[in-house]
Amino acid sequence: MAFTTPAAQVGAIVPEQVRRQLTGRRSDTAGRAFQALLITAVAASVAVLGVLVYDMVQTGSATLTGRLGDFLTGSLRSQPGESGLLQGLRGTFYIGVFTVVFAFPIGVGAAIYLEEYAAKSRLTRFIDLNIRNLAGVPSVVYGILGLAIFVKALGSVTGPSSQGRSLISAGLTLAILVLPIVIITASEALRAVPGSLREAGYGVGATRWEVTKDHVLPYAAPGILTGTVLALARALGEAAPLILVGAVTGFLSGGTELDPSTLGDRFTAMPIIITTWAGRPGAEWEQVTAAAIVVLLVVVLLANAIAILLRNHYEKKRG
Amino acid sequence: MSRIRRRIHSAALLLPVVLLASACVRDTETVVVSGSSTVEPISIAVAEGFAAVRDEVSISVDGPGTGDGFELFCDGLIDINDASSKIKPEQIEQCEAGGVDFVELQIANDGIAVLTHPGNDAVQCLTLADLYALVGPESQRFTRWSDAQGLAAELGSDTDLPSAPLDVTGPGEESGTFASFVELVIEEFTEERGQEETTRPDYQASADDNIILQGVGGSATSLGWVGFAFAREADGVKMLEIDGGEGCVAPTDETIADGSYPISRPLFIYVNAGAAAQSPVLEAFVDFYLHDAIDVVADVGYVPLADEDLAVARDRWASRTTGAA
Amino acid sequence: MSDLTTPAPYTLEDFRGSRRRMRTERAVRAVLFTAALLSIVISVLIVGSLVGEAWTFVSQVEASSLWSDGWFPRRGIYDIKTLLTGTLIVTVIAMAVAVPLGLGAAVYLSEYALGGLRKLLKPMLEILAGIPSVVLGFFALTFISPEIVQRVSGEATQFNIAAAGIGVGILTVPLVASISEDAMRSVPMALREASYGLGARKITTTVRVVIPAAVSGLVAAFIVAVSRAIGETMVVFIAAGATGGSLFSTDPFKPGQTMTAAIASQAAGTDQVRGAGLTFQSLFFVALLLFVITLVLNVLAGRFVQRVRQAY
Repeated sequence: MAFTTPAAQVGAIVPEQVRRQLTGRRSDTAGRAFQALLITAVAASVAVLGVLVYDMVQTGSATLTGRLGDFLTGSLRSQPGESGLLQGLRGTFYIGVFTVVFAFPIGVGAAIYLEEYAAKSRLTRFIDLNIRNLAGVPSVVYGILGLAIFVKALGSVTGPSSQGRSLISAGLTLAILVLPIVIITASEALRAVPGSLREAGYGVGATRWEVTKDHVLPYAAPGILTGTVLALARALGEAAPLILVGAVTGFLSGGTELDPSTLGDRFTAMPIIITTWAGRPGAEWEQVTAAAIVVLLVVVLLANAIAILLRNHYEKKRG
Repeated sequence: MSRIRRRIHSAALLLPVVLLASACVRDTETVVVSGSSTVEPISIAVAEGFAAVRDEVSISVDGPGTGDGFELFCDGLIDINDASSKIKPEQIEQCEAGGVDFVELQIANDGIAVLTHPGNDAVQCLTLADLYALVGPESQRFTRWSDAQGLAAELGSDTDLPSAPLDVTGPGEESGTFASFVELVIEEFTEERGQEETTRPDYQASADDNIILQGVGGSATSLGWVGFAFAREADGVKMLEIDGGEGCVAPTDETIADGSYPISRPLFIYVNAGAAAQSPVLEAFVDFYLHDAIDVVADVGYVPLADEDLAVARDRWASRTTGAA
Repeated sequence: MSDLTTPAPYTLEDFRGSRRRMRTERAVRAVLFTAALLSIVISVLIVGSLVGEAWTFVSQVEASSLWSDGWFPRRGIYDIKTLLTGTLIVTVIAMAVAVPLGLGAAVYLSEYALGGLRKLLKPMLEILAGIPSVVLGFFALTFISPEIVQRVSGEATQFNIAAAGIGVGILTVPLVASISEDAMRSVPMALREASYGLGARKITTTVRVVIPAAVSGLVAAFIVAVSRAIGETMVVFIAAGATGGSLFSTDPFKPGQTMTAAIASQAAGTDQVRGAGLTFQSLFFVALLLFVITLVLNVLAGRFVQRVRQAY
């Protein structure tokens, strides 16, 4: 029914198709000019992306093509030609692990509570507002939180040999940073579950948790997963909190093992390495910085791509 | 979701938890070096050499600045403080308050290069009085070189300062280069003038030498100062000659080593004596620094110690003499 | 008389269900409630860790140092307006880049693009959204600054605020685009159809019907983007140069300092400053200021989003 098209079906009928049907194809110069303007805007946005990626790949190409193996397995050095990313990759890996281990269960748990369990009271509205605000807090403020709590107050637990300036502190700080994002995306995924599914479950006498666990969660799982992966990608790219939590910027020996007992030591991570190298003068440092950026982009964009693919796949399955 | 898929998902989630649960964090053998960004490249080169020989040790090197490094050092948070200026009385007090005994070891020499834009032909040589007039505590709000002419003349200099905009970029207070500059240039005059021993506050300060070099290169009539080792590597800046009373001297390895360049300063490492007594790794590191690795100083662009001075440093370490020399 | 015995009367307990399931239910509920409460705990912790030191700063700082030549915290010169101006200039430049590009892209995607093109362009914007800020910082320093800013103004140094501002703008484009697009897509098709039915052209419909109808959402997008730009640290930290301290300056072609970069710059140094003035505490004060500003903006944006939701 053309005049009562609900908003949800907007996607099925695109405005352009409606326009064509209703207005025919008369020429329209102002309109064309406007459209050209819009296309320029879109093209510019996409072009920036292209230029950025191209510039990074080109600047870093010598390192990427010439010594990729050494670059990925080497450590921080004083000479750009010998420097490598292994310590950064390890640090970033562990930060990802912490994010998943802490932010995912707590975030999804909070979302489940807010969407499935909580009555719409003032408290839940307040929690909701609170979470939305936390999602907008600058990352540097989370860094200060991490500094005050995990480094200073809990230093003996999070890093006995590093005065608290360890991967544990960093991982926990970043987990807290992305927690609001996980909660928000999980909430939206849960909200998208049709009510009929829940009602069917209650109708046969299941408890709320049983309905949630066996029916709602599986249905919402793709959306929740997508949200978690996006949050993860965000956590992997953040540098400001790491600066405040005490990542090493000059030189670090060791820090290349995957052994979890080394989590209490001084550390570094990909975004910090890039920040440090970006400040060093000379074309050679520029080259390795660009190469490091390409590696980080591959990691982050891979995560984003996985999230998008997951979402599209499950959306298609759902029909 | 099929059962198998679900099992795989659960396992995937469990893996990180298991990984972390086994993280009974160890108390690693560490050496923590921080402090001067000027000395940082030397310490990094030494640490690299040491790590190659003793790869089970975790060494970290940072360069937030000599002043900041002393704060950490006197609180016992780091083992070695790199310093591009001698420890000051307030800092000695702080270390006493923090219960930290230190061994002062000179490891190299460096000059402070005074820089301007390569195209700035109007300025070639400056006296110490000129420098005081341009960036000293009485120069706040001077926006042109010529604004300082009067003050410089008062102090006995007859250099002609151009009437061009004065864009100053230099290290900030966290830096030992700042402290050395104040000590060697500004303090000459502050006592007789009754001023505070510091520079003017209103200039573009940065802890990052690269930013200082960029700042100098970015303005046609700029003025800045960095360690000589950084300046010699940089293009886009011109090093000025300095007249310390005996004619204009340009900074080179030789003039810094023999002291004829007026703004030369020693570079130090300060070692936490208590930590060294408890950590064989730290002792080994300092031994390595003074004996095996000391040649890196020249490789990295600094001026090596004369043999007598090196011998003095080695003796101080061998006998663990604490306190400032 | 039958042999049937009446069954025992049902009690409430019989309807309650198995104890075990009830216990599980209660336990799960408690756990999930704790998780939700954690978010409040985090907010309290943030405010708590900031307020203490910030109060120390406010109560001990010399009022005159708050209005002087520049932000030199180690000297005890805490000219807040330097940081505020820096943040303002970066935000203005960022919005000048993000709003035209983001809004234009959103209008195009919502009103003009057909299915295939949408499927291609939306992921591209999402990829742009995923780029870490350190990458944009380096790009700003090594590409935007020499190729764009220094071509515009020959006086510009390599480290300058304008390049950082453009970098932040690029970062914010996907945010503006996605929120604006959502706002425009939720305008009912009926409005457009009515407009066409009256004989309006495409451009008229878009500009005079759809955009005004979506204006609340567009304002929300703008506010969220401003909030993001204010909170952005690394682009400025890498590309704008003034890491030690900064003179008060309104010149976008020279180095500068924002609130966020000031915090990061200070923190790269010591965390225990004794007797050296209020350098450390100034960090917390600036962070608290930031927190309050972004909080206000986010609440405001939320209000505007509410209005869109209510209208439709």
